[in-house]
Amino acid sequence: MTISTTPVPEPVVADRPPEPVRRPARHARLREWWLGAALVLPALALAVAFKLVPLGRGVATSLESSSGFDGTSFAGADNYVRMFDDPVVRSSFRNALLVVATLPVWVVLPLVLAVLIHQQAPGWKFFRAVYFIPYTVAPIVVGIMFRQILAPDGPINALLRRVGLEPLAIEWLNGRYSALFSLVAVALWSFFGLGVMTYLAGLATIPGETLEAAYLDGAGFWRRLFHVVVPMLRPTVAYWSVLCASGVLIWLFPLIYALTQGGPGDATMLPEYLVFLTTFQFLDRGYGSAIGIALFVFVAVLSIFSVRHMFTEGTRKPR
Amino acid sequence: MNRRTAARLGRYLLTFALVVVAVAAVYPLLFTVVSSLKTQAGFAEDPLGLPAGITLDNYLEAFRRMDMPRLLLNSLITTVGGLVLSVLAALLVAYAVTKLRFRGGKLVFLLIIVTLTIPSQAIIYPLYQTVLDLGMSGEYQGLILAYAAFGLPLGTYQLAGYFQQVPDELIEAARVDGAGHFTILFRLLAPIATPALAALAIFNFVWMWNDLLLPLVIMGGSDSKTLMVGVSLLSGQYDVSVPLVSAGLIVALLPVLVIYLVFQRQLVSGALAGSGK
Amino acid sequence: MNRRRLAGLFAAGVAAAALLTGCGGDDNTTDGPVTLKVLTWEPGGAEYWKQVKTSFEAGHPDIKLELQSVPFDKYPEVQGPYITSQSGPDVMANNAGLELFDRRSAYVPLGARAAEINKDLVTYSGACEGFDTSKPCYGVPFSYQGNVLYYNKAVLTAAGLDPERPPTTWEEFGAACDAVKKSGKTCLALGLSGVFPAYWDFPEIARSYLTEDDIRGLLAGTLSWKDPKLVSVLGKLAEISTKGWTNKNAPSITMLPDGADIFQRGDAAFAGTIISDAVNWEAFGKALGDDKLGVTRWPAVNPGAPLAQKFSGIEGAVYGVTQWSEKKEAGLTFISWLAGKENGELWVKHAKGQPLNKNVDKALLPSSPAFQKIQELVAQPTLHAGVMLSGPEADALARGWQQVALGQLTVDKWADQMQQALERSPTKKQSK
Repeated sequence: MTISTTPVPEPVVADRPPEPVRRPARHARLREWWLGAALVLPALALAVAFKLVPLGRGVATSLESSSGFDGTSFAGADNYVRMFDDPVVRSSFRNALLVVATLPVWVVLPLVLAVLIHQQAPGWKFFRAVYFIPYTVAPIVVGIMFRQILAPDGPINALLRRVGLEPLAIEWLNGRYSALFSLVAVALWSFFGLGVMTYLAGLATIPGETLEAAYLDGAGFWRRLFHVVVPMLRPTVAYWSVLCASGVLIWLFPLIYALTQGGPGDATMLPEYLVFLTTFQFLDRGYGSAIGIALFVFVAVLSIFSVRHMFTEGTRKPR
Repeated sequence: MNRRTAARLGRYLLTFALVVVAVAAVYPLLFTVVSSLKTQAGFAEDPLGLPAGITLDNYLEAFRRMDMPRLLLNSLITTVGGLVLSVLAALLVAYAVTKLRFRGGKLVFLLIIVTLTIPSQAIIYPLYQTVLDLGMSGEYQGLILAYAAFGLPLGTYQLAGYFQQVPDELIEAARVDGAGHFTILFRLLAPIATPALAALAIFNFVWMWNDLLLPLVIMGGSDSKTLMVGVSLLSGQYDVSVPLVSAGLIVALLPVLVIYLVFQRQLVSGALAGSGK
Repeated sequence: MNRRRLAGLFAAGVAAAALLTGCGGDDNTTDGPVTLKVLTWEPGGAEYWKQVKTSFEAGHPDIKLELQSVPFDKYPEVQGPYITSQSGPDVMANNAGLELFDRRSAYVPLGARAAEINKDLVTYSGACEGFDTSKPCYGVPFSYQGNVLYYNKAVLTAAGLDPERPPTTWEEFGAACDAVKKSGKTCLALGLSGVFPAYWDFPEIARSYLTEDDIRGLLAGTLSWKDPKLVSVLGKLAEISTKGWTNKNAPSITMLPDGADIFQRGDAAFAGTIISDAVNWEAFGKALGDDKLGVTRWPAVNPGAPLAQKFSGIEGAVYGVTQWSEKKEAGLTFISWLAGKENGELWVKHAKGQPLNKNVDKALLPSSPAFQKIQELVAQPTLHAGVMLSGPEADALARGWQQVALGQLTVDKWADQMQQALERSPTKKQSK
């Protein structure tokens, strides 16, 4: 497979000697290759030094038994084998799958809001500005705020009780599943504005008439959304899905830290938090690294389609 | 009920839904502002209600406890440095991969976007060791380079997607006019990609400004620590004074909000990577 | 317009990048004063540490302190990489007990110096291997820490109880809780998220079952969690929540700040916290009024047990000189100063904590009745069972308690999980 750049047409007129294009094509190609190499060098250096080398070193640590701070020894695959019998590791990955299962909400909710705003509802500029605000709030603040808001006597439950939905006023962070989904909801609160903004930017590139025609033809909202808007917005939807798929587990980390610390029991334990616990609190770096590598594989498999998509998106030619 | 009233009703319902979401979006922030105006005792008595009396003591205390100008400067240097570097590096890669005849470009591109899936917690020890090996622990450049590396994959992806949409004929025309590669990149492609650059700028600015893990591990607790680290220090050993922390957070949030307002227009006026057809 | 703005941004970035090389390495070692880098989470608060810096530097013009302050809950993430790479600050802190011993490879043993430091301290063994001052000691503590049970006299009175005679036995405590519950308040303010239950609650029940030798067994990892004594301790901890003595949201909140807040705002009769740093007599006295605040020992399950009437005391943060420091002498000078009278008085004055130095001017000590009562309690110290727990054990204790409280786990299963956590503890592995 070669790079699909359209070949530069060689100039036909050849009787003006000082033209640079006169140089032999091979030479120009070589020069261009060197230029390309020079241009990718900074990025490559960054990725190698701060991501790939540490990852490689992490893999090396995962093959060591490095408990505590006194010396390490080669342990082969021991750490990986150990993971299979570890109920906490299992439940952390099960929880991760549950979180991943909420991804459709992450993709659709901001889309719906963006479309509603895009229809120029009254005050749409205001909504557009306001929706983005949660994203700018630092994760540690989000954690502190929602600890108060989700408290059994906090504002959410006070509101539910006032509107007669008493049975829904549960102890959000106590339940086996309600705790995990509360965390996801808080993370969604934090990031939906970024999604709305992303979709709005995408919608802005679609010619107004196309959308207007779709809005006016009387089809139901959802039909319109999935049959007209989504196909036109495919690249944006794809981009946002990539961002969510690769980010959601990472985004949850500071919230777990501030809200549940993985509890009650291991109800909200996620691999990223378990890596943190094992490495820094239990001083078991070898095992922590192994869980980290397993998480890397998990996320990589999860985003294999998105990465493939990113890859083709970034390298294919427009038709 | 005729069609028009139905439409109007729908409109009201729509507005109502948007208002509910808007309230949900700002309430926690208002909550933080209100908390920051309470005394510690007032907050303990009534964490949810409006304060009986407004006090600015928490802000004064936050300023007294933190070396605010220095922290702000640290955050600005590292965030802007990381932001610019990552965008710059991404621009160069995107150009090389999409607009040059560059064998191996695809591999480089793949390598860079794959780093998006590396979990940061898993590589903290080796990352610190690498920063140390490079002699950059506790130094601005260590953090700037790390930020740049972590911001790189998405930036590269977005810009490459954008450049891909620019017809090669346009580039050729410019080249025939005698434009060099850098002129093409910075005078022709970058302006076209302004919306993507704006989106990248705000996205990177926000996470770099708010990040705790990288600055903590790379900077330690030295004088070059960032504002966000300073704020999280306001919660002492065990004690968390919510009003005090809230005040610090509002202060830390302001620069981000300002940046957001500055970039808001560009953000919406254009499109993101690959959004064109 | 847009373009110009972006161009401006780029220019700023390039300028910043250009500056970087200039402002990077500015710590050229000259012949001036030695600068000590001190890694701390600032126990006692920022104000106290400001005073430490000023006072120490005033007395030692040849040494400057550069405090590297890291939030308490982020400390392991910063310190861990320093220790594995054997680089970083000249002086660091760790909590006395297993936390310090687990990291002893990072610290210079004090040798003969230890005896001199120990001379004026109330207790010192928590900084030494196996709680034995004849073994290597790795640093210097200056604060005294430990668990007590605070109570709100007004809440007790309202429940028809005598505020001057708080419950002393498990049965009395149960009866008191029933009365408090009837009056509409929470009996014991509790938060089970995080490691605080392991440090603040577990040792207090353990005193009714364990001897000092058992506690040393806990430290060494030789005492099994399946041992009936430890299973009984877990059983009594479980009782606290299954009998409804606590706030209902206990499993999902942390003791700090949320659990302590319940007590601080007057909604609970009791709170089991600590004597120094935060959530102590000073903070509670400020919130409730010094005259409303009572303090007592935790109720004893077995009042006749050898340790039942003792105080679980432990040195606070221990500061040691790092193995890799190139300024070890200056570091030693600083940590020795920390143990002295001058710093002890700063600790009392600015951190409102319990000092370890015996020579601290008694006139400086606070007049709060609760503080006076604490002086009685700390006079009979014993080993603190909480700081003997490893990271995995402390974590499993809190997690298991959450699940027991929610009815998801039995005490026996909890004991199993504790034993597994013990077997996972890096430095407690028994050589087979």
